[in-house]
Amino acid sequence: MYAAAFEYVRASSWNEAVHHLSEAGDEARVVAGGQSLVPMMMLRLAEPTVLVDVGRAAERSIQGTDGTLMLSALVRHVDLERSLVVAEACPVLAEAATHIGNIRVRHRGTIGGSLAHAEPTAELPCLAVALGASVRTLGPGGERTIAADDLFVTHLTTSLEVGEVITEVEVPVGGAGRGTCFLEMARRTGDFALVEVAAVVDLDGNGRCAGVRLVVGATADRPADVSSAAEPLLGEEPSERAAQEAGRAAAEALEIGPSTHGSASYRREIVGVLARRALLSATVRARGALGQDGDRR
Amino acid sequence: MTATEVSFELNGRPVQVGVEPNQSLIEVLRTQVGATDVKHGCGEGVCGTCTVLLDGEPVNSCLLFAVQADGASVTTLRGLGHDEGNLHPLQESFLEHGGSQCGFCTPGMVLTAHWFLGQNPRPTREEIREALGGNLCRCTGYTKIVDAVDDHARANRSDHEEENRVA
Amino acid sequence: MSPDTVTIEAPDRREAPEAGRRRLPVHQDFVEKVAGSLRYADDWALPGMLHGVVVRATIACGRVTHVDASAALAVPGVHAVLTADDVPHNAVVEEASGLGIDPVPQPVLADGRVRYDGEPVALVAAETPGAAAEAAQLIEVDYEEEPGVFDAEEALEADAPPVHPGGNLYVSWRAAQGDVEAAMSAADAVVEGTYRTQHVDHAYLEPEAGVGWIDGDGVVTLRVSTQVIEHAREVAEVLELPHSKVRVIGAYMGGGFGGKEDMTVEPHLALLVWKTKRPVRMVWTRQESLLARQKRHPMVMRYRTGVTSEGEIVAEDIRIIGNAGAYPLLSSRVLFASAVNSTGPYRVPNVRVETSAVFTNTVPTSAMRGFGAMQVVFAYESQMDRIAEALGLDPVEVRERNFARRGDLRPTGEQLDTEVAIGECLHTALEALGERSPGAPGKRVGRGIGCNLQPYGRAVFFHDRASAWIGLERDGTLVVRAGVTDLGGGQAASLAQIAGEVLGVGIDRAAVHIADSSLTPLTGGTFATRQLYMSGNAVLTVARELRDRLAPVAAELLGGAPDDLEFADNGVRLREAPDRRIATAELARAAENKGVMPWHMGTFHAETGKFDVSAGRGRSFPDVTYGAHAAEVEVDEETGEVRILKYVACHDIGRAIDLQRAEGQIQGGAVQGIGYALAEEVPIEDGMCTSTLFADYLIPSSGDLPDVRAIALELHPGKGPFGARGIGEPPIGPPAPALASAIADAIGARVDQLPMTPERVLAAMRGASRPSGTEALAG
Repeated sequence: MYAAAFEYVRASSWNEAVHHLSEAGDEARVVAGGQSLVPMMMLRLAEPTVLVDVGRAAERSIQGTDGTLMLSALVRHVDLERSLVVAEACPVLAEAATHIGNIRVRHRGTIGGSLAHAEPTAELPCLAVALGASVRTLGPGGERTIAADDLFVTHLTTSLEVGEVITEVEVPVGGAGRGTCFLEMARRTGDFALVEVAAVVDLDGNGRCAGVRLVVGATADRPADVSSAAEPLLGEEPSERAAQEAGRAAAEALEIGPSTHGSASYRREIVGVLARRALLSATVRARGALGQDGDRR
Repeated sequence: MTATEVSFELNGRPVQVGVEPNQSLIEVLRTQVGATDVKHGCGEGVCGTCTVLLDGEPVNSCLLFAVQADGASVTTLRGLGHDEGNLHPLQESFLEHGGSQCGFCTPGMVLTAHWFLGQNPRPTREEIREALGGNLCRCTGYTKIVDAVDDHARANRSDHEEENRVA
Repeated sequence: MSPDTVTIEAPDRREAPEAGRRRLPVHQDFVEKVAGSLRYADDWALPGMLHGVVVRATIACGRVTHVDASAALAVPGVHAVLTADDVPHNAVVEEASGLGIDPVPQPVLADGRVRYDGEPVALVAAETPGAAAEAAQLIEVDYEEEPGVFDAEEALEADAPPVHPGGNLYVSWRAAQGDVEAAMSAADAVVEGTYRTQHVDHAYLEPEAGVGWIDGDGVVTLRVSTQVIEHAREVAEVLELPHSKVRVIGAYMGGGFGGKEDMTVEPHLALLVWKTKRPVRMVWTRQESLLARQKRHPMVMRYRTGVTSEGEIVAEDIRIIGNAGAYPLLSSRVLFASAVNSTGPYRVPNVRVETSAVFTNTVPTSAMRGFGAMQVVFAYESQMDRIAEALGLDPVEVRERNFARRGDLRPTGEQLDTEVAIGECLHTALEALGERSPGAPGKRVGRGIGCNLQPYGRAVFFHDRASAWIGLERDGTLVVRAGVTDLGGGQAASLAQIAGEVLGVGIDRAAVHIADSSLTPLTGGTFATRQLYMSGNAVLTVARELRDRLAPVAAELLGGAPDDLEFADNGVRLREAPDRRIATAELARAAENKGVMPWHMGTFHAETGKFDVSAGRGRSFPDVTYGAHAAEVEVDEETGEVRILKYVACHDIGRAIDLQRAEGQIQGGAVQGIGYALAEEVPIEDGMCTSTLFADYLIPSSGDLPDVRAIALELHPGKGPFGARGIGEPPIGPPAPALASAIADAIGARVDQLPMTPERVLAAMRGASRPSGTEALAG
C-alpha cells in the first residue's frame, strides 16, 4: 500500500508537459486529479518513474459556442455538475458526473484524466462515444484530434501515443430536438458501475426520430456502441415497444465480461432494461426541448 | 529519489516539510506536521476518513501526494478553529445527538458536514444523507449523524449563510 | 433458577421515551472524538520507531519451499526480516470452548505449510513505511501448491484433503429435548428449509494497528487496537517470556465488532520489538485486512419444523455446518452459540440440533457481532414465515402462538429465567412502521418482520469474572480503574456513569483508566455483549461497597445515620435536611484521616453452571435480550434492486444505563445487519479472495438508507447493572429475516441465501409461481 518511488514534475503549460513526457519516455505518466491513477500506484498496479502533474497546466474552461461545447481537459467532474453552460448545452454530462465516485473524487477527477485512463467502468468514456465527442491532443508531433470512437482501444489503453496528452474535449451539442440520458446500475451510489447506458435521441420537427445513439459501458473492455440496435427507431415517433425491442437487441449484441457484483447473464438483462429506460427518457427530454418553441432552452 | 521541500498552509498556519514524492499527503500530515486528526481508513478514497479541505474543497488526502499540495491551503477538523474546551456548535451537536461512537469516521464526517452546510445551509434530511454518502460509518447506522447535522443546520441557518458564503 | 441471581424490582411496564438530545458534559472520550484529538493506536509514535509489515501467502494450500530475503535485507533502512524459524514458540494454542475441545495450534508465521490465502509467512521492519513496503515486495517466497478443500460440506466428505492431521471436522455440538422423530411424524405439516450465509468482514473504519516497545523493566509493551488485553499471556508464550513481562494497553478502538477479539497485530508486533529491541509500529492495510483477518462463519442451516394445523411448533430438527476456515480460533464457541440459540425465541417441546465447525483452506472464521446466534436468526425466522405460508396463517399470529415464556426450556434443557417481552417488541415495531407506503409503477412494496433472541454475557461454564478498582481523590474527584477495552460503545463512559451515580460524583469529575494489563484490574475482553453485565456489575458492586464503607464517616460528620444519607451532586447530604452537606472532597480527606481508605477493589462473579457435552444438556448463557424489527421495502420489478423505505428496530433492554447510547447500538447493529442481508460478501473462489478492495466490500452508506427508528423498551429487567440487558449484539440478527420477509411480501418468493443481491431477488421473482403482496402485515 505504498507507491514506488518516482520523480515529480509540475508542468505549467501543455507544451511543458509534452516536453517532460517526451524526455521521460514510456515510463512517465500524466496526473491531473489522480483519482484513478494514484490508487493504482498505491496498490503497485502502476509504477511510473516520472509523474508529470498537469493540474495547473491550463485554465479549467468551459465554453459553449455554435453547437459545440469545448471543455478544457482539466474540467473536473464537480465542475460539470455545477456549470450553467453544461446545463444548457449538454446536461447529460452533469447527469453522468453525479455517478462518479464520491464528492471528494469529483472535486479532483478530470474529464481529460477519465478519458485518458480508459477504465472500462468509467462513465465519461461511454458518454463521450455516445455524444460523438472528440479529444484535442498535443504530442511531440504537434496537435491532432481523435474521435472518441477511435480513442478507446481496450482496458486502460487508449490510442494516445507516448508523450501525447489530452488538452481539450470537444462535444457536439446537437440540434433543437435533442434529448439525452445517462443511466447506471451500481450496488451503492458512487460504486463501480455494473452496467452503464448512454442514449441520444434527435427528433425532427414532427417528433420523429432523426438520429439515435446508444452506447453501453462497463460490460466490456471499452464502451460498446450498439446504436445499430436502435436503428429501427429511425423515422418513427419512438414508442415504448420500440425502445424495449432496441434494448433487447442491444443486450443480445453485446459480449459481456465478468464482474465482482453481477453475473454476465444478469448484467445482460439489465442492459436491456436500462437501454429501454434511457431511450424513453431521452425521447421525453427531446420532446420537451422541442415543445419550447422548437428552440433549445 | 530526492527529497523535496513542500510548503502549504495547515489550518491557517504555514508549514514547510521535506518529503519524498511518493509520500501521500495523509502520511505527511499525520507524521510530520502533527495532524493526527486525519485518519487512514482504506487508502482507496472510498471511506472518507482521510477527508481534508484542499483550497476549501473536500478531497481524499490518501490519494494525493504531498508534493501536489505545495502552495495550497489544507484544512483538517481542527481547522474549524475550536478545540476540546471550546467546540464548534456542529461538534457540540454531534455530542448532544450521539453522532459519534467509535469516533474514527468523525473527523471526516464533521468536516464534510461543515463544508456541505456552507454550500447548502437549508438541507433536507435526504440531502444530508446524500451529502454524507461518501463518508462511511460502521457504528452509528447514520441516523444520529443526520440528526446532529440537521439540528445544527436548523439552529444556525443564518450564521452559516454569513460565515460560509462561497464564491 | 440460580441462587446468585440478583432480583430487581420490576415496576409496571414502561416505555423509555426516545432519547433526544443529551445534556453536556459527556465523557471525555466522546469530546476528544468530535474534536479529533483522541489517540487511536496509530496516533502514537516513539523516537526511533520502526515500521513493520507482514508478508502473506499467495496460495490457499500447499508448502513454502523457499524464502529468499537477501534483496529485502539490502534495502536501505531495513532492520529485520523474520520467518518461522525466528519465532521462539511458533504456536498459539487456545482451548476456546471451555468444554475441553482439543485445541489446534496456529502458527504465528507459516512453518512450511500454508493453509489459507493470506496466511502470514514473514515479517519486515524498516525505518520508514516506504522502505518496509519496498522490502516486503522484494522478499521472494516459493510455494508448492497442493489440492485444498474450500467448501465446508465438501470438507466433510471422506476423500477431502485434510486441512489438519486430525481431519476436517473440528467439533460438533448436539442438544436434544423430547422425541423429535415421534413428534415430527405426528405433526400435521412439516416445513423444510435450507439457508445459506456468506463470509462477511467486520469492516470497522480503523484498520488493525499498534505500536510496541520494551520499557525500562524489560517488559514488552504493546499499545494496540484490541478488544482483549488478556492476550498478553499468549504473546508471552510466543516469545517464551514470563507472563509478567508482557503488557498490553488497549487503545480506544475505531470499531471492533469481534474482529479485534482474537489477536491481530499483537504477536507480529511483539516479535519485531523483541528482535530489533526498537519501538515498532504496525498498521495493516485495508486490503490486507479484507484478505486475511478472520471473518464471520458462513453457515449452511437445514431446518425441519413440524407444526400443528394451527401453526404450533411440535418438533424441530436442525443441522448446521459452519465453515471454520483454516484454523479454529473461536469456532468452537461460535457453533456452540448457534446450537443453543438455534430455535430462537420460540417454544419447541421436541428438538434435536447438531452444529459442526469444519475446517477448509479458507480464511479462518471467528468472532463477529452476533457470534453464531446471529446467522440462525435468518433460518428460524424464515421458517416461521414458511409455516405461515404453508398453513395460510398470518405470520404475526404464528409467531405469537409460539413465542417462549419465562420458564420455557431451551434446546439444552435449561429454562429461560427472565421475562420474555418479545410480543410487545413485535407489536411496537409493527405499529411504528405506520401506514403502508403506496407502490410506484414498476416497483413492488412489501413488509416483513424478524424476531430474535441474543445472549449477553459469556457462557456460564467459563466462570466469568471482572474486577474493578474505585477511589476518591483528595479533591473529591473519582477514579475508576478497570481493564475494559472500549470499542466505541461507551464502555468506559458507562463505568463513570455507574460509579458516579452510586457515589454522587458528576461525570466531568470522574476519570476512568482502562485497558492496561499491567495497571488495571482485569475485566475480561469486550465481547459477547458482556462488558456492561460484567464490568458494569463489578463497578456497581465495588462502588456500593465503597459507599457503604464511607457512609459511617459521612454520617458522623453530618450528625445522622448511614441510612439517612444521599450521595449526590459531588457531595453527601442528609436526605431529610439537604442543607446539611459535605463535599465529596471533605469526605475523602476525613475518611483517610480516620484510616478508612477511600478506595476499594472487588470482583464480580457471574453466575456459573455446568454443561454436559455428551448429554447436550446444561446451562449455557446467563440471559438473553429479545427484539423484533419491522421493515418496508420497495423492489424494482425489472432489476431486483431493493430499497428500504422504512425500518424499525425494537428491543427490550431491561433498564437503560444510557438510553441514547442504547438507541445508537440498535441503529448501528441494525444497519450492519442490513449490510449482511443485502450486499456484503467477501468474494472467495476456490479459496482465493478475488477482490480485496474496500470499494468492493459493500457496507451500507447513508445515501442508500432511511432513518432507522430505534425503540428501546424498558420492560423486564435483565441481569446487568440496575437490571439492564446487553444491547451490543442483539440488533444485528433480525434485519436479514425482516428484509427477506419484506422482499417475499413484495415479490411472492423467498430468497434463502445471503446476501440477497438484486440478482438473487430477480431470480426469485422469476421463479415465483404466485402473485405477490399478501397484505399480511398491514400493520
